[in-house]
Amino acid sequence: MNAVLVEIYSTVIPSAPYIIAAYALLLLVLFVYAFMIMRGTKKAEAQIAVLEEALAEKKAAK
Amino acid sequence: MSVTVKRPSTFTQYKTLLVKDLRQEFRTKEMLTSMGIYALLVLIVYGAALAQTAQVFDILQMSGGLLWALIVFTSLLGLNRSFTAEKEQGCLEGILLVPLDRSVVFLAKATSNLLFLLVVEIITIPLFYFFFLTSTTPSDSFWLIVVPLVVGTIGVAGIGTLLSTITINTRGKDVMLAVLFIPLIFPLLYACVSATTAAIVGGDLFMETFTMSLALAAGYDVIMVLLSWVLYDFVISV
Amino acid sequence: MAEKAKKALKLPESGQWPDSVVPIALVGAAVFLVAGFLMAFLYASPVNGAALSEPVLVGDQMVTNVQLLSQKIFYFHMPVALVSFGALAFAGFYSVRFLMTKEQRFDTCTKIAMEIALLFVVLTMITGEMWTRFEWGLWWTWDPRLTTYLILMIIVIAYFILRNAIDDPERRATYGSVIAIIALVDVPICYMVTRVIPSSIHPVVLREGGMTGDMGMTVAVVMIGMIMLGFVLYRMRFRQVRLTQRVEAIKEQLED
Repeated sequence: MNAVLVEIYSTVIPSAPYIIAAYALLLLVLFVYAFMIMRGTKKAEAQIAVLEEALAEKKAAK
Repeated sequence: MSVTVKRPSTFTQYKTLLVKDLRQEFRTKEMLTSMGIYALLVLIVYGAALAQTAQVFDILQMSGGLLWALIVFTSLLGLNRSFTAEKEQGCLEGILLVPLDRSVVFLAKATSNLLFLLVVEIITIPLFYFFFLTSTTPSDSFWLIVVPLVVGTIGVAGIGTLLSTITINTRGKDVMLAVLFIPLIFPLLYACVSATTAAIVGGDLFMETFTMSLALAAGYDVIMVLLSWVLYDFVISV
Repeated sequence: MAEKAKKALKLPESGQWPDSVVPIALVGAAVFLVAGFLMAFLYASPVNGAALSEPVLVGDQMVTNVQLLSQKIFYFHMPVALVSFGALAFAGFYSVRFLMTKEQRFDTCTKIAMEIALLFVVLTMITGEMWTRFEWGLWWTWDPRLTTYLILMIIVIAYFILRNAIDDPERRATYGSVIAIIALVDVPICYMVTRVIPSSIHPVVLREGGMTGDMGMTVAVVMIGMIMLGFVLYRMRFRQVRLTQRVEAIKEQLED
């Protein structure tokens, strides 16, 4: 086999963990951020529901 | 009978504000003594920190960095104090009531900070030399460190004045100033350390590194001082 | 009159036209990023980059450069880094808008753009660190790029620390805007200073020269995907923050 290819292939195994880690962490961080946004949105929506109830009660009391 | 009052010129306003700061400092000597003592203490810490190194290690290569670390920490202390007094005694509110251009306030404050820092440097650098550099022989160009020191201090005073005005109104203001100040000053620090080290170590290529670093530091100074000057109006008006 | 002038000022709000682009952009981001990922590993040739001492024949083509598998990180690393700069630029833009109009909405935009900048800076640091660790065999070195990004990250974090330390909304917004503008100016200077001044202690690390066509293509695909992703995240976050702000406002009104 070609010497250059041998050199390239010889680095595949030792470097694989770092590449996998890089891509995995990249995805992980992105998903964590997206998850935070989702949770925040859900929370705000739940609060809107509570507010609507409160408003209805206020109207009923009137 | 009408009284005509001549509106003081901008320069007079600037001078008045500057003289006010200097006079206050001259009376109490609060800032200079605290900065001076602090600088001396940092030197003592350096003494302990370097005590275990080998006899013949190259202090010359490190001294530029050590000197600048000393200046950064001392100026942090000074900048923190520079507005505390104004705030506590309500002086700042008084100044803001006067219909003067806000950038004059910035210039006056930056100048007084610059003067205090320079005075402290004039005291500490001979001390630094005395403690750490008498065992070696710095190059003939040692005196050139004055240039990066002045250029660096101008930048520190300029951006530091803006940042200390910001942090005076925040919670935990001492830490806040350091958090903002150190990363923003980093390019200047890097360039000045490079220029100072080049001047102390000397060598064939020193002039090249020295002028290059100085040019970059000066560029930083110009841009940042102008920016601080423009933005100061917004900061002090809120 | 002043009231009218304020009305005329168009404020960014959730639900405006950019939000209708979000679903398309999200799909686009997914497609481009997956395509870019596959291209990075399957299309871009592994034999390109660091110079060889002499040209060698590999397969049926002459190669003068060799590139290792760790180089695959680069295809995502560079677009992410560029997007982080872009987000910072947007933060600077909205800061200027805030200082001009004193409209809290622009401060919200600045804050979110800063968040996106922080997110992408962190991603840049992670991918860069992994590459550095394998290629240079160390976790940290004061290399110009690493240094600049560390400083950028610390400034962005400092921005959020500053925001947390101020209670008054107007003051918080003004100070935040000022810091965002200074940060935007400071970062290029930092990059230049650390690059131009040679460091005597660490060797200047030379990266591989230009990119070849297939590499450039891969980077471009990932770049488009990342820009879309950044945009989607920004709009999603903006919608969420606006929703929360409106809920807070209604709550206050109900309590009266």
